[in-house]
Amino acid sequence: MKTKAAEVKAGDLEKKPGRSVPELAALSLFLVALIVYFSWASEYFLGVENWINILSAVSVAGIIAVPGTMLLIAAQVDLSVGSAAAFTGTIAGIWINSSGVPLGILFGIIIGIIVGVLNGLLITRLHVNSLITTLGTLAIFRGLSYIIGGGQTVMVPDLSYLGLARPFLNLPLAVIVFVVVCIAGVLVMKYTTFGRSLYVIGANPAAARLVGIRTPRVILICFIISGVSTAIAGLILTSQLTAASPMAANGLELSVITAIVLGGASLNGGRGTISGTILGLLIIGVLNNGLVLLNVDTFWQQVARGTLLIIAVSFDQLRERWGIKHG
Amino acid sequence: MPATDSALLTASAIRKSFGGVEVLHGVDLHLARGEVLALLGENGAGKSTLVKILAGDYVADSGSVSSGDKEYSALDPIQSRALGIRMIFQELSDAPLLTVAENISMGSWASKGGIVSWSKMHERANSALAMLGIEIDSSRLVGTLRIGERQLVEIARAISDNAQVLILDEPTAALSSAETDKLFEVINALRTRGVGMIYITHRLDEVGIIADRVQVLRDGSQSLIADAKKASRLELVKAMIGHEISNQAHPEAGMHSGETLLEVSQLSLGNIFSDISFNLRAGEVLALYGKVGSGAEEVGETIFGLHPERTGTLTLNQSAFTPKNPIDAIRAFIGFLPADRQRLGAFMVRPVAENLAVPSWPRYASRGIITKVKENAAYMRWSELLKIKSRNDPDQPIATLSGGNQQKVLLSRWFECDAKILVLIEPTRGVDVGARRDIYTTLRESAKKNKIGILITTSDHEEVIQVADRVVVMSRGKKVAEYEGKNIDSSKIIQTASE
Repeated sequence: MKTKAAEVKAGDLEKKPGRSVPELAALSLFLVALIVYFSWASEYFLGVENWINILSAVSVAGIIAVPGTMLLIAAQVDLSVGSAAAFTGTIAGIWINSSGVPLGILFGIIIGIIVGVLNGLLITRLHVNSLITTLGTLAIFRGLSYIIGGGQTVMVPDLSYLGLARPFLNLPLAVIVFVVVCIAGVLVMKYTTFGRSLYVIGANPAAARLVGIRTPRVILICFIISGVSTAIAGLILTSQLTAASPMAANGLELSVITAIVLGGASLNGGRGTISGTILGLLIIGVLNNGLVLLNVDTFWQQVARGTLLIIAVSFDQLRERWGIKHG
Repeated sequence: MPATDSALLTASAIRKSFGGVEVLHGVDLHLARGEVLALLGENGAGKSTLVKILAGDYVADSGSVSSGDKEYSALDPIQSRALGIRMIFQELSDAPLLTVAENISMGSWASKGGIVSWSKMHERANSALAMLGIEIDSSRLVGTLRIGERQLVEIARAISDNAQVLILDEPTAALSSAETDKLFEVINALRTRGVGMIYITHRLDEVGIIADRVQVLRDGSQSLIADAKKASRLELVKAMIGHEISNQAHPEAGMHSGETLLEVSQLSLGNIFSDISFNLRAGEVLALYGKVGSGAEEVGETIFGLHPERTGTLTLNQSAFTPKNPIDAIRAFIGFLPADRQRLGAFMVRPVAENLAVPSWPRYASRGIITKVKENAAYMRWSELLKIKSRNDPDQPIATLSGGNQQKVLLSRWFECDAKILVLIEPTRGVDVGARRDIYTTLRESAKKNKIGILITTSDHEEVIQVADRVVVMSRGKKVAEYEGKNIDSSKIIQTASE
C-alpha cells in the first residue's frame, strides 16, 4: 500500500500541469500580447481612464455573458438577450417616468424574471430546443419594444445620474455591477450544487436524469438568472443613453456568444468557465479599444473581431484533438 | 439435405485474428440452395465475425469463400453483394421517413433520364411483397410500421435486389410471437424460391422449427454440425458452453441472504413483461437472467422508476413503493447502472471524481454550498478499494479510463451515496475479463458486508454463475424459473430461458 501511495504522488506531479493549464493559458497569453502591442503602438492605451473605457465598453455584454456561459455549459443558449434588454429597458423607462426611479427599476427586474420564466418554461415544458425558442422570443421582444414605445425612443432623464455615477474607486456603476456579477458567477459555478449541476446536465442530460438531477428546474432557474441579468443590462444601457430605445442592444446576443465561445465554453455543453468568458470579453474589449486608438476604421474592427473568433475556436479544436491523442 | 450438389455458398478454413488474438480457428460453413442453417454460439463465439467475413465487412486472414465457380480469399463488400449475399441486421437500417416502396427501391431507383418513376417503384415493391406473402401498403411510411413489419420490408428489399443468401441476425429478438410466425412464413416462402439463409439465434426452440441444419460455434471453432430436426436441446447447450466452463454456482452462493428488502409482486408493463414476482433480500446478489428481448432489463428499469405506467406492486421496507421517476428511487436509496455506459451512464468530458460523486452531492452540500474536497477524497478511497486503474488524478476526464474502469467508477457512485438496493443492467457489458472479475468480487463482498440487495439483469449465463446467489429466469416477458445457491446450473438456465 505504501509504495502505491508513492506512485500516486509521482503520477500527480508529472501529469497534472500538462492537462489543466493550457485551457486558459493560451487566451491569457494572447491578451498579454495584445496589451503589449497596443501599449507600444499607442501612448494612451495604458492610461487608467482608457482601461475604465475598456471595462465600461464590455460591461453590458459581460453582465449578460456570465449567465450566458452558465447556460452554454448546460448546452443551452439564450439568443433573446439583446431584444429582451431593449424590451425591459423600454418598459422600465416608461415606468420610471410615471412612478419614479426605484419602482421603475424594480418593475424592470420583475419583467426580466418574467422573460426568463417564459423562455425557461417553453424550453423545459414544451421541449423545444433553446436555440429555436429564443430565436422566436428574440423577435417577439423586439417587436413588443417597438409596440410599447410606439416606435419611438423614450427619454428617461431621471436615470442619467446613474449612468454618470462613479460610486466606488472612481469606477462607473456599470463596471461595478459587471465585476460583482463576475465574482458571483465564478463562486456559483465552483461552490454550489446548482452551478455544478449545469456542467453535468450539459455533459450528458440523459445520464443526469439517472443520477437524480432535476434538469428542468435547474435549466429554468438558469434562464431566470439570464432574464434578470438582461434586465439589469437593459437598465444600464438606458441610464447610459438617458433614453430607452426599442433598437437598443441590437445584435448584442452575438457579441455575448462570441465572448463565451472565445473563452473556451463548448457548444456541446459540459465545458467552460466564467474566467474564460471574462478573458474573452477582455480580449474583445482590448482589441476594439486598441483599434480605435490606432484609428482603424470601424468596419475593419468588425472584420478583426470575426477573424479573432475563428482563430480562437480553431485553435481550441486543435488543442482538443492533441489532448485526445496525447492525454 | 445434401449440400454438395446444390451448393450455394461454401466457406472453408476461415481464420481471423484481432489484435493478435485469433477469434476464428479455421471454421467451415456450407449452405445449400433453399436451406436454412441455424448458427448458434455464445457471445464471443465468433458468429458475427464469421458472417461479417461473408458480408465482406471483415477480411479473413486465411481460408476462402466460394460460390458457383468463383472463389475468393478476400471478399470485399461489393463482391459479396455480387454473390447475392445480404445481411438483415438486428438494428434496422431502413429510412423511417420514406415510404415502403422507396425503402425497397433504395439505392436502385426506378427512373427514366433521372426522373423517378413512382408507378414503377410501387409496382416493384408490391411484387416483392406479394412474392413473400406480405400484406403491407407500399405507400405507407416505414416509420409507422411495427418492428416486425419493418423487418419484413428489409427482407423484401434484399429479395427485390436479387438476394441469394440471406443472413438473419437474431431476427426474432424484438418480435412478438405473432410477428415471429409471420417471419417464419416468409422464410418458408424464400426457401421454396431457393434462397439460402443463415439464421443466427439464441432461441433453441426456434432451431427445430425453422432450420434444416444447425451449426454451433464455441470459442471460434465449430463444436457441432447436426440435423436441426434431430438435435436435442441438451446437445445444443452442451455444444455451446462446452465442458470446461464451470457449470456450478460460486461456492458461497445463497449463504448470506437476509431479510427481504424489496418485494416485487405481479409487476407488468404493457406487452414487455407481465406478472413478474420475486423478492430481493439483504446481502444477496439476485440475477434476472433472460435473452435480449426477454423483458429482464425493463423490470430493472421499472424498479428504478423509469416506467411509471407499470402495474403491480412494489413493497419496500414493508410499505408500498411507487417510484414515478429516478429521483423517487434515489430517495429510497436505490442505485441504478444502465447498460449503455456511454449514452446513459458516464459524463464523458467531466472529471472522474465528479462522475463518482454526483448523486452524493446533496449529502456533501450544506444549503447548496459544496466544495470538491469530499468528492476528491471519495474518488481516492474508491479507486483504491475497487482497484480503479487511472492516473489517480480526480480531475482527469472519465473518458480517459478504460471501459472496465469507467464501470467501476459508475458502480462506486452508488456505494458512495449509501444505496441499499442496486439495480445493475448488464453490469459487465463491454468490460474486459480482469475488470469483470474485480466487479464480481466487489458485488459479492459489498452485498455481504453492507447488507445491501443487488439486482443484476443479464443475458450472460456465465455472469449468473460467477456472481448470483439466486437467479430468476425470464423468457418473452414471463418469469419461467427460479434457482437458488447450489441449484444454479448454466445448462438449466440456458434451457429455460430459451423456451
